[in-house]
Amino acid sequence: MSDMSPDLLDFIKNKINSFIKWDLVKFFYQNPNTTDTAENIAKYIGRNEESVQSELETLVDNKVLFRALLGQTIVYSLANDKTTRALIEQFIQACGDRHFRIKAVYHILRGRG
Amino acid sequence: MSIERVKTGIKGLDEMLRGGFLPETANMVEGAPGTGKTTLGMQFIHHGIQLGEPGLIITFEQFPEQFYHNAMAFGWNFAELEKQGLLKIVMTSPEVSRLDIESIDGMVEKTIREMGIQRVMVDSMSHFSRLSQDPVELRSLEFSFINAFKRYGITSILTHESPIFMGESASNSVISFLVDSYIILRYVEFESMIHKALLVLKMRGSDHAKDIRQYNITQQGIEVQAKFEGREGILSGHPRRMANSFVEAFVKR
Repeated sequence: MSDMSPDLLDFIKNKINSFIKWDLVKFFYQNPNTTDTAENIAKYIGRNEESVQSELETLVDNKVLFRALLGQTIVYSLANDKTTRALIEQFIQACGDRHFRIKAVYHILRGRG
Repeated sequence: MSIERVKTGIKGLDEMLRGGFLPETANMVEGAPGTGKTTLGMQFIHHGIQLGEPGLIITFEQFPEQFYHNAMAFGWNFAELEKQGLLKIVMTSPEVSRLDIESIDGMVEKTIREMGIQRVMVDSMSHFSRLSQDPVELRSLEFSFINAFKRYGITSILTHESPIFMGESASNSVISFLVDSYIILRYVEFESMIHKALLVLKMRGSDHAKDIRQYNITQQGIEVQAKFEGREGILSGHPRRMANSFVEAFVKR
């Protein structure tokens, strides 16, 4: 489980450390121009709003996503940071490989203790 | 003095529109699923890009990936055009896009200014109905959304879903009153086949063709053909030969 780049390993362990975050990161990678509410994003990825809400907030804290206020409405979008976007791209492309996915799943499950 | 038209690039439709849409107008395309509303909108956006007019697609339903895939079937490489900064596809919700467009320096405004957007497609305006049950409030919301694009000097295509597959159905949406032009796409059945019919029902400030024309969705996009000859009752979905109706009306008496 050690032949993963240190940056990517750190990204998985510390930023995408749940399956919902994995879904969210994949969603924003495929829809980089999306700005929407937690409720709508939950619908887009087919998950429960409450669990998505807290994961969105963690991704904001980890600077993967950006939170903004539109009137009274909280909306989320992909952070503009180039390094983060490059890591996301690296992660999603690596996910095309079954062995990488198995390793990523292992790290996520291990992180949950 | 003639006004330069905003060409859709759709053979036959520009002729029906007397050269194209009027600039800075909102234009609605209404039809049942599969009639080609989104294709018509994509063709309008793609043609604009070919003319050096960057485009924006705001989608409330389809993911950008679906747009890339569907556009590629017509040979339009939307993913590449996005990379070149000539196109942006934004998937969002009506509630957020409305708030965004009303806000100062919102995402849509920034995109329009930065990319120099001249054409917009919104797919589809039908989703606005979930914002309010009150028709007066809904009209006001739609009015302000549509006018925002005009404020930026943009020509827009707004798709609208019709629940009726065949037969006459006047739009029950107030949006048909708000837009500058109104194009209807319909399925028509005759000789045991489904055909597609297009009609320009309304075009503010311009003459337009009044006939109902047949169209096809080809590998190059939509192609509008000649008008339906010798038939009547096209919009009913079940047209009759005019000779038969003549016989029914006069000879069988």
